[in-house]
Amino acid sequence: MIHDSVIRPQLVTGDKTLHDVTNEICRPIENKPSTSWTVGFILSLVFLGILGLTLGITLAYGIGTWGLNKTVQWGWDITNFVFWVGIGHAGTLISAILLLFRQKWRMSINRSAEAMTIFAVMCAAIFPLFHMGRIWVGGYWVLPLPNAFGSLWVNFHSPLLWDVFAITTYFSVSLVFWYLGLIPDIATVRDRAKTEGRKFWYNFFSMGWTGSVRTWNRYEVVSLILAGISTPLVLSVHTIVSMDFATSVVPGWHTTIFPPYFVAGAIFSGFGMVLTLLVIARKVMNYQDYITIGHLEAMCKVVMLTGTMVGLAYITEFFVAAYSGVEYEQYAFVNRAFGPYAWAYWSMMTCNLIAPQVFWFKWARTTPWFIFMLSIVVNVGMWFERFVIIVTSLHREYLPSGWVMYSPTLVEIGIFLGTFGLFFTCFFLFSKFLPVINMAEVKGILKNRE
Amino acid sequence: MIDRNLYLDKNKTVMFGIFENPDMFIDTVAKVHGKGAPIIDCYTPYPIHGLEKAMGLKRSLLPVGAFICGCLGFITAASLQLYIMHFDWPMVIGGKPTVGVSFVPVLFELSVLFTAFGLAILFFTRSKMLHGKIPTERVDMRQTDDRMVIAIATDNPSVDKNELTNMLFNGGAVEIKERTNNGYDDFTDVNINKGNNHVTANH
Repeated sequence: MIHDSVIRPQLVTGDKTLHDVTNEICRPIENKPSTSWTVGFILSLVFLGILGLTLGITLAYGIGTWGLNKTVQWGWDITNFVFWVGIGHAGTLISAILLLFRQKWRMSINRSAEAMTIFAVMCAAIFPLFHMGRIWVGGYWVLPLPNAFGSLWVNFHSPLLWDVFAITTYFSVSLVFWYLGLIPDIATVRDRAKTEGRKFWYNFFSMGWTGSVRTWNRYEVVSLILAGISTPLVLSVHTIVSMDFATSVVPGWHTTIFPPYFVAGAIFSGFGMVLTLLVIARKVMNYQDYITIGHLEAMCKVVMLTGTMVGLAYITEFFVAAYSGVEYEQYAFVNRAFGPYAWAYWSMMTCNLIAPQVFWFKWARTTPWFIFMLSIVVNVGMWFERFVIIVTSLHREYLPSGWVMYSPTLVEIGIFLGTFGLFFTCFFLFSKFLPVINMAEVKGILKNRE
Repeated sequence: MIDRNLYLDKNKTVMFGIFENPDMFIDTVAKVHGKGAPIIDCYTPYPIHGLEKAMGLKRSLLPVGAFICGCLGFITAASLQLYIMHFDWPMVIGGKPTVGVSFVPVLFELSVLFTAFGLAILFFTRSKMLHGKIPTERVDMRQTDDRMVIAIATDNPSVDKNELTNMLFNGGAVEIKERTNNGYDDFTDVNINKGNNHVTANH
C-alpha cells in the first residue's frame, strides 16, 4: 500500500496507467530510430573515430606525442581523467544515496544517470592507462600479478594503486547495480518483443525473470544492500582520487581539505552532466511527464549546494595557505590566481562558485533552456578546476630553472574530444536498446493506477 | 512454508487469478492467505510493497550471505597485502613500517567488491536465474507490463475450488485460469460466471 502525501506534487504527471508507462518507455526500443538519433549517433561515431586515431598515434609513437614535459608530467591526461571520474559520480549517488534517503524523485532519472556513470568511468580509465606508455605490459604495473621479473609486486602504499582498486571496484559494482535494475525492464521488453532477434537477446539478458514476488522480495533486499555499500563506495572513489594529489609533497596539492572538496566537486560535476543530458533527452524522447520540471529543480538545488561547497573549498585553500606561513604553499596559490594561468583560475571561479548562485531564483531552476546553458557552464568550470589544480601546481616547481608552460598537442585534444565520442556513442546505443527510465520503479509511484 | 516445488512440478494443478488493480490484488492475496489456501507465488510488474506480508513471506537471509562475502573480501585484501608487502618482498619506503594505514583503502574496496559480486551471485542462484533461461512461470504475457497474477495450488482436497474462484472473482480478478496436469502451457479458462456469485463483471 502506498500512502501518498496530498501536499506534494505528483512525481509522474499526465495521469499515466501502468500500461501507458510500458508503452511510452518501450517506444524508442520498438520503433525505428528517429532522424535526430541517427544524426547524433553518426556524429558520436566520428568522434569515436578520432579517439581511435589519436590513441593509435599515442601507441605507435609513445607519449612524446603529448605536450607533457619534465616539469608538467601530468597535463590534460590526468585533468580529463579526474573530469570524467567526477562526472561518473552522479549516477551511483542518485541511485544509492537518494535510495537510502527515500527520495522518490530519483526513480525517473536513476537509470540514465547510472548508465552515464558507467560510460564516464570507461572514458576516465583511458587516460591513466595510456599515460602508462606501454599499455601492453601495464597489467604488471597496476595489478598484483605473479611474474618472472623478480619479485616485482605493485606497491600497496601508493595512492595510485589505491586508485586502481577504487576505480575498478566502482566501475564493476556500478555495472552490477545497473544491470540488476535493468533485469525486470528487460523482461518487460522481452514479453512485448515481436521479432526473433529481439526475443532472443532480451530473453538472454532477462535471466528468466517472471516478476515472481519471491524474487522481488529478495531483489529489494539486494538493492538495499547494494545501495548501502555503494554509498561509502561513491565517497571513497573521489576521496582516493584526491589522495593521488593530497599525499604528495607538491605545494598546492598536499592539503587535507582535498577529499571532501573533491567529493563535493564530483557530485557537482556529475549533476551538471546529468542535467545536460536529461534536459535534451526529455525533450527529444518526449519524456516530460516522467522527468518533470520538479526533477530538474531538485537537481538544480543539488548543483547550487555542491557548487557553493566547492567555492568554499577554493577560498579555504587560500586561507590555509596564507595562515600556514609556508612560502612555497603561498606562492602556489598566488601564482594560481595571478600567474600566467590566471585566466583558467578565474574561469573556474566564475563557472563553479558564481554561476550556480542563480539557482537561488525559482525561475532559473525551472526554465529548461536556462538550466541547460548553466549545466554546460558547470561542466566547463569543473574541467577548469582540475586543470588549475594539476597544471598550475606543477608548472612552477621549487627551482625556477624548472619553470615551464604547458599546452596540449593536437593528439591530446583529439583524445579528449574522442572520449566524448565514446561517451555519447554508448549513450545513444543505451537509449536505443534499453529502457531509459526504470519502468518497474516508476510504476510503483504512479498515483493513478487504475 | 509453501513448497515451491508444487509449481515447478508440472503434474500439479494450479489456479491463477489475474488482476489489473494492485490495491484489489493485495487485498485478495491477503484474504486467500488468511483462508489458508496454499499460495505458490504471485507475479507482479513492479515491487508492490506489503505484498510479501500479505503472502506471508519471510525476510530473506541474503544479508547474512552478503556479510560473509564482505568478510571474505576483507580477508583476501588483508592476506594479499600482508604477503606482498611484508612477507614476500618487504618494501621499505622512507623508513615507514611495511604494514600500516595505507592498507585501509584496498581493504575497503575489496570488501565492497566481494560483497556486491557475492550478493549478486547468491541472488541469482537462490532465484534460479540464469542468462538465456526460458521463463517457465509466465501465465500472462502482461504480467511484466500491467497485470498481477496469483498462483494457488489446488491439488489438496481441502481447497474448495468453487470458493476460491468466488474469492478471486469478487476480489477483482479479470481472468481466472487453471492449469491441469498436461504441462506448463496447458491453461484452461475458468468460466467465472459458473461460480455461485451474483457480482457482475465490472473491472
